[in-house]
Amino acid sequence: MTAVILSALAFGLALFALTQRRLLWGVLGVGAHSLTLAGLYLALSAPDVALTEAAVGFGLVTLTYLLALRRTGKLVVAACPLYPLLYQEGERITGLEWEILERFARWCHRDLEIVWVPRREIPRLLHAGEAHLGAGGFLPGPEEGVRFSRPLVPTKLVCLRLQEGPLGAVAGEPGQELATIAYEDAGELARALLRGEIGGAVVDLLRQREWQLHRLISHEGSTATLEEKGFAFAVAPDEEELWKSLEEFLAALEKAGVLEELRRRYLG
Amino acid sequence: MESLSGLALAVALAALGLWTMVTRRNVLWKLLGLNVASGGSILFLVALSHRSGARPAIVGLGPSPAVDPLPQALVLTAIVIHFATLALALALVIVLTERRHTQDVKKLEEEG
Amino acid sequence: MKWITAGVLLGLAALLGLGIAGVWPRPEFPDPDPIATEWDVENAVAAIVLGVRLWDTLFEVLVYALAMVGVRFFLSGMRWQGILPPLAETPLLRRSADLLFGPILVFAVYVAVSGHIGPGGGFPAGIILGSGLLLLALAKGVEHLSTELYEPKLEGLEYVAVAATLFLGAIVLIVGVRSSAAFVAGNLLVALEVAIGAWVVVHRFASARGEV
Repeated sequence: MTAVILSALAFGLALFALTQRRLLWGVLGVGAHSLTLAGLYLALSAPDVALTEAAVGFGLVTLTYLLALRRTGKLVVAACPLYPLLYQEGERITGLEWEILERFARWCHRDLEIVWVPRREIPRLLHAGEAHLGAGGFLPGPEEGVRFSRPLVPTKLVCLRLQEGPLGAVAGEPGQELATIAYEDAGELARALLRGEIGGAVVDLLRQREWQLHRLISHEGSTATLEEKGFAFAVAPDEEELWKSLEEFLAALEKAGVLEELRRRYLG
Repeated sequence: MESLSGLALAVALAALGLWTMVTRRNVLWKLLGLNVASGGSILFLVALSHRSGARPAIVGLGPSPAVDPLPQALVLTAIVIHFATLALALALVIVLTERRHTQDVKKLEEEG
Repeated sequence: MKWITAGVLLGLAALLGLGIAGVWPRPEFPDPDPIATEWDVENAVAAIVLGVRLWDTLFEVLVYALAMVGVRFFLSGMRWQGILPPLAETPLLRRSADLLFGPILVFAVYVAVSGHIGPGGGFPAGIILGSGLLLLALAKGVEHLSTELYEPKLEGLEYVAVAATLFLGAIVLIVGVRSSAAFVAGNLLVALEVAIGAWVVVHRFASARGEV
């Protein structure tokens, strides 16, 4: 009698597991089905087989599948924080690029995951295949070998001069070739500027506005515009389809006027 | 009675697994279907070994007739080897996704 | 396409029905207890796996080791270059993993050692130990645990276990020893090999990058 009930339960679980849409639920369903199969073996007086099937089918097979499937359906974005494009406010992440990324992830049915890295690491992670997109105020720098989406926010590269001294820049950004000292991230650059180690910085307009807004630098200096650039998303070089779907999505957003509205809301 | 339900379930699981392997386009779903189908074949062998009112084949467990231990012995190592084969198949799927960036069989067949 | 599949499935069901009709009603067979006592053990299934059909079991051990070599080979070029993303962990998992690993180890050794007098044997024991190592890896981080376990030496130990199993099997086959001590030793060696193989799979999968 128990064998009949367990057989029906095992068949029901297998049917449930193999007609799912999400792979994760299919794997867990097959794991539960293996456990009921182990119970069925016990009802058929085969204790060795039941023990082995329970340990293998429910323990190791499900866990191996889950270990192998960690990155399925994820969109990994390597970013460095830049107000107001992509920054972290307490527990939440917000910003203009964050909203675009969220809509894009929902549109292509993937889970969004942001990895905060220094600016210099973004091309390396994209080349190594560990991140799909690069964001967070990504100015197209010289010969990096990654693809770019269409420019989202136009900006200018400025040279901010507060006092006499060498120029500094964030390592990896396009201002690096004009500056003498390179720093890991913008926070260090701002602190060095405050301490007077460097006389000026080569940054983009939004970064300068962020410093002024958050009063990270002590006083006004002279600004000289160097170059016109535009922020864009960076796509890993071997992700052809992702780049195409990103272009399509951004074109649709632009046509619907959503990009204009977001720019107005975040940039003023 | 119990072996009959076991045999019917084995046939049903083999059919379900084969259906999944043929119909689904994702390589990983095909692997899951293979998993279920092999569970069905293991169940077939174990259900064949059962006799009615039987005890496990361990000495000293009672006077009733024992089950047939031979199919159970064949199946015992097969389950562990099945796990090893699954690990190898998943490693191959990881390398395949790394090179071709897709797990869809139709897209894999297109570019040769 | 769907009709072809339905036709194939119907053919499969008919073939299986024919197979069942071939083995039904199942024949009577003699009591398997003399098989067990002839090999000086009490579990008839263990007597068959490691006694009557020892030749097959040796090759299955070899197939398992070869599959693990294959996994290592295919995933050798796929190490993470950046920061390894953490496996999902909660404080409950971290505290309980250290507590639970002791009983899991003891249980695995018990199942292996008592494989000839009760259900169990080397194969489930190795899998249980592998699952215990996986639990520990989830709590402590895979790279940390692999340095704690001296992984190159562990892989060497797996090959030693395989060689020892084959050697012991050869002795039992050629000389014709029939004692339960050979069963216990064989079970323990097989458990060691299966556990190390499962740990290799866990480690390589957890530290492989790639899109899957």
